[in-house]
Amino acid sequence: MTAVQHPRHRLDELLQNPVRFSIVAALDRAGTLGFGEVRDAVEITDSALSKQVAALEAAGYLAVGKSFVGKTPRTSLTLTRHGRAGWRAHLATLREIAGDPSA
Amino acid sequence: METTPTMTSSEARQLLDHADRLSRSAHNATRWPYIAFILALGVATSMGTFAMALTTGDGFGLAYLGTLVVMFALLIFFMVSIRGRSAFSRSRRWTGYIASWFVTYAAALAVVIWAHGSLLLAGLASGLVLVVALVSAAREARS
Repeated sequence: MTAVQHPRHRLDELLQNPVRFSIVAALDRAGTLGFGEVRDAVEITDSALSKQVAALEAAGYLAVGKSFVGKTPRTSLTLTRHGRAGWRAHLATLREIAGDPSA
Repeated sequence: METTPTMTSSEARQLLDHADRLSRSAHNATRWPYIAFILALGVATSMGTFAMALTTGDGFGLAYLGTLVVMFALLIFFMVSIRGRSAFSRSRRWTGYIASWFVTYAAALAVVIWAHGSLLLAGLASGLVLVVALVSAAREARS
């Protein structure tokens, strides 16, 4: 007989970190946000955000864009297709655990 | 060995609610200037091109100049209101909205210039500018 695995085993490990979860949640609808916009939405420090953004970028979940407005550097964060797919799957698993009939 | 932490249904529900709230607030806090701009740009350029189709001589020039002045004022409003939150203006989605508006506006201008007097064509072309802007604004508002 095959044992049925609890859905929590299918949760995305990368997104189980609360800060990374919040960063991707902030980008879900917006698609692209500035570094400062994400920092304000998630309410964390620049250095903490940088660290988690680097982890998400390395996993291919985020694309980080750099540009200049005058002499001021601007960093933009965009949720990639791979990141969006991972986020959708993570949310679907959470809905399943929550007992949501739409899951 | 079991390494995955347990999660109850109420914890999962809390995470889903948190994600939804955060996603909505981040979107709402940054997108209103973009939605207002594309909407106003569509209305102004649609009305402007249709006014140009209805007029000749000085009236035509006035309609053209008026449209340009409104576009310039809208651009200033947009530049000021997105200061500090301009990341979306460099995104593919925004480029798509602006490119769609530009193509329809250029077509409407071409109709007004080369088929001046054809109210049906001018009405259709101006209406298309408005529809594209409305669809872009609605799509962004609902995303």
